[in-house]
Amino acid sequence: MIVHDPVCGMKIESQSAFAQREHMGQKYYFCSQSCVGQFDADPHRYVMTSATTGFNPQATLTRIELPVSGMPLKEHATHLEAALRAVDGIDEVKVNASASKLEVQYDAQKVDVARLVSTIKSIGFQVGGTKVKIGIENLRCASCVKFIEDELKATQGVLSATVNIATQEATVDYLPQNTTLSQLNAAIETWGYKSRATTSDAPVDKQEEAHAHEYRKLMNKFWFAAAIALPVMATAYYQVVPFLRDLSMDSLRLLWGVTALLTLPVMFWSGSDFFTGAWAAFKHRSANMNTLIALGTGAAWLYSTFAILFPSVFPEGTSEPFFDVVAVVIALVVLGQALELRAKGQSSSAIKKLLGLQAKTARVIRDGKEMDLPVEEVLVGDVIQVRPGEKVPVDGVIVEGSSAVDESMLTGESMPASKKMGDEVIGATINKTGAFKFRTTKVGKDTALAQIVRMVQDAQNSKAPIARLADIVSGYFVPIVMILAVWTFVIWFVIGPQPQLVYALVTSVTVLIIACPCALGLATPMSLMVGIGKGAENGILIRSGEALQTARAIQTVVLDKTGTITKGKPELTDIVLADQSIVKDDELLRLASSVEKVSEHPLAQAIVEGAQARKLELAEVKDFEAIPGHGVSAKVEGKNILIGNLKLMNRENIALGSLEEKSKFLADDGKTPMFIALDGKAAGIIAVADTVKEDSSEAIKALQALGIEVVMITGDNRRTAEAIARKVGVKRVLAEVLPEDKAKNVQLLQAEGKKVAMVGDGINDAPALAQADVGLAIGTGTDVAIEASDITLIRGSLKGVVTAIEVSRATMNNIYQNLVGAFFYNVLGIPVAMGVLFPFFGLLLSPLIAGAAMAFSSVTVVGNANRLRGFKPKFSV
Amino acid sequence: MNTIQIIVVLSGIVTTILIAWYFWFAPKAQTRVAVAESGAQEVAITVKGGYTPDVIVVQKGRPVRLTFTRQESSACSEKVLFPDFNQNANLPEGEQVTVEFTPEKAGEYGFQCQMGMLRGKLIVE
Repeated sequence: MIVHDPVCGMKIESQSAFAQREHMGQKYYFCSQSCVGQFDADPHRYVMTSATTGFNPQATLTRIELPVSGMPLKEHATHLEAALRAVDGIDEVKVNASASKLEVQYDAQKVDVARLVSTIKSIGFQVGGTKVKIGIENLRCASCVKFIEDELKATQGVLSATVNIATQEATVDYLPQNTTLSQLNAAIETWGYKSRATTSDAPVDKQEEAHAHEYRKLMNKFWFAAAIALPVMATAYYQVVPFLRDLSMDSLRLLWGVTALLTLPVMFWSGSDFFTGAWAAFKHRSANMNTLIALGTGAAWLYSTFAILFPSVFPEGTSEPFFDVVAVVIALVVLGQALELRAKGQSSSAIKKLLGLQAKTARVIRDGKEMDLPVEEVLVGDVIQVRPGEKVPVDGVIVEGSSAVDESMLTGESMPASKKMGDEVIGATINKTGAFKFRTTKVGKDTALAQIVRMVQDAQNSKAPIARLADIVSGYFVPIVMILAVWTFVIWFVIGPQPQLVYALVTSVTVLIIACPCALGLATPMSLMVGIGKGAENGILIRSGEALQTARAIQTVVLDKTGTITKGKPELTDIVLADQSIVKDDELLRLASSVEKVSEHPLAQAIVEGAQARKLELAEVKDFEAIPGHGVSAKVEGKNILIGNLKLMNRENIALGSLEEKSKFLADDGKTPMFIALDGKAAGIIAVADTVKEDSSEAIKALQALGIEVVMITGDNRRTAEAIARKVGVKRVLAEVLPEDKAKNVQLLQAEGKKVAMVGDGINDAPALAQADVGLAIGTGTDVAIEASDITLIRGSLKGVVTAIEVSRATMNNIYQNLVGAFFYNVLGIPVAMGVLFPFFGLLLSPLIAGAAMAFSSVTVVGNANRLRGFKPKFSV
Repeated sequence: MNTIQIIVVLSGIVTTILIAWYFWFAPKAQTRVAVAESGAQEVAITVKGGYTPDVIVVQKGRPVRLTFTRQESSACSEKVLFPDFNQNANLPEGEQVTVEFTPEKAGEYGFQCQMGMLRGKLIVE
């Protein structure tokens, strides 16, 4: 029997093994003293190998639980069962519809998990496994691929496994409840290969790797081209080079012949992308930057080669080559591409920062045991232990314990949020003080963090309307440049000075080389990428380039009152006692809240919470009665209590004295006063109000300072609305607006010819958010996927509106700079290259300088976009 | 003007016409996508200096499944964008990446790399 040595993974004959051991009922064979020695020292390290993956071929029946999804299990259960039973080797099928699970007992010798999975999938279900990629080091032999695949497939809980020799990776689909990553690694190591730590599947990391690789490649190409360019330059300017200027024309011609050959590898290795790219584009009947560079350098090389081969064909003085143009231009443009790539890497730093927040492992409690698992293996419904100072790995709800959690990385809120049982916790936030356990509700790509990352990435790759102009231009740009180059040649050839041919060729090559469609194409996307990333860093999620562009031009911001300017929840604000005070204010509050405890009214809730904040002990209530439209009456500690509005007091004929006057003041201030009478006598007023968020008025001032009109919209009565408006400095109030009319009011403002932004909570205000030019939803931390909004403010503060507009303005300014810069570069550069300055100043652009200008124009665009990274919002987090 | 100069001017005119015709006016080859068994309109696109095929004709109301394979390392083509459908995808070299969406309205929609150097067109009928 052929077996594996569990230590080194070597294949050996069991009979001829150096030694054998029995461990946990399993036999192991070893190839050498050193292997058996290592095993004896620590057998547990090696028992994760194939033989112990839990799959025992001798056992006739194996039981497996498969989570299935994709269709309602209940309705299709019989169909699924029948299909599985039809498979040879399947003994028993149990469908647990409520848990979406399938229990299958099967003969492992006749059928394998992969077959089960494919059968289930053929009905239309999905099998809920976890996909993981494991790197395998130094995987070279193609035949081992199959061995490793089989080994992985034989591991319990593995649904499918494929090994890719090109990427040196195994992709494994498995059930995390049946196996762990370390068992999978062990299966790979059985074959003597080392598994790399699971390679990050994050596209950013992958892209970064690809960028680093491409950068090295470009730099190699650059250094090669530069090394050739130097001697080639020397031969081109032989008149000023000491030794070369003394050479005869014949030896020079020979030297040029050598440079012609030298520049060939520069063109076809260093510059290969230009030529293949140009050809590919040509086949598609399109032309791009590659076309221009390939044409320019190609023409220069062909002309020069002709000139040295057949000098007699050319007029006197025109048979000198310019191979230097070929080598130098290619070197410079390649260098430019390399620098551009490096600068681009910095532009995506925001996403990298967000991804870096993700916790790597989680302490999961399964079957009463704690185990550290990679975060990818955490399932919905798992219970996870989090200790002080640790990261919350995924989203969930606390089931035990309490703590303060720092959520600043996601919400920008600097104060830690206190969390108790039943509260939501968000993945990637940091637990500060206490330990707690939580049940996971969202894992993998469903977590708040993953959604934020996805949303930001989508937005970064979206288009701003302003880019359309650049798009249209660049569609015609390259062929126009080619036509301009043709006519430059013709004009110089026909009316230019002697030597006409040289002038004609040099100027037309310069035109081809200086034109830079890339700078135009890069202008918008690079700035968008940085700007939207910057927004995300400040807790502002901008959904698209279009939203970003519109936000810049906002003239009016409509703020919903409740929940946007205010906290959205009434709070106890004032206790006023009657002139002949019969009770102290704490006593009044205690009695009132005892009564209100029974009531379900939100205002009553505020009074009860106010009493709890003062740590008052509530009393027993008797004979509670609600009087609709008036208030309530009840008996507490033998006293008859009435709580309600003026109508109630008048109905009961209670003399109010100065209380009535005071209540008006309170109402003018936007508060809701409630009168309280004890045993038929007025005792005082308790007032509650939806209070303004601490930073609302500061944010509104900042908006007004940006030249933006701020309008408040609310369903409240005008008096309350105006009281709040006064407090926060809003001059225009739209009060008594029914929820369904909010969108219409936004439309009316738009009819005034204004660009309107609406800020609301995203649920009640959805139609108004959608109607506005830009809808900003104030989120509650995790709820980032608010459909109706163009911009989501993760933090519940109005300061986010200011920052959003600032980000938009900064980004759009940056885009304008880039676009204007790129337009002017081309609009000025091309005519100069054509030689319009020559008749006046005798000035002509050297193709070498054109090459440098072209190479660095696109680097400049990316560099300018990166300047945005230094953007600092007025209200920093 | 001597004979050579006249020839040069004439060739200039001819070249201009050729360039304009070739890049702008000549009809482009279109690839019609058949509906696969799955009900989706599937097409494989190679990314190498351009998109092959680059003009793709599909029917509206049916899901379109475009599988891109990027066969070059040039960073330019590392992303493909469908701005009109708010779709985008990273294209790691050598990997098949599928972009899927359902065009509901007839029309011509462009797709391109991030900076617009490579372009293709989706014609929805």
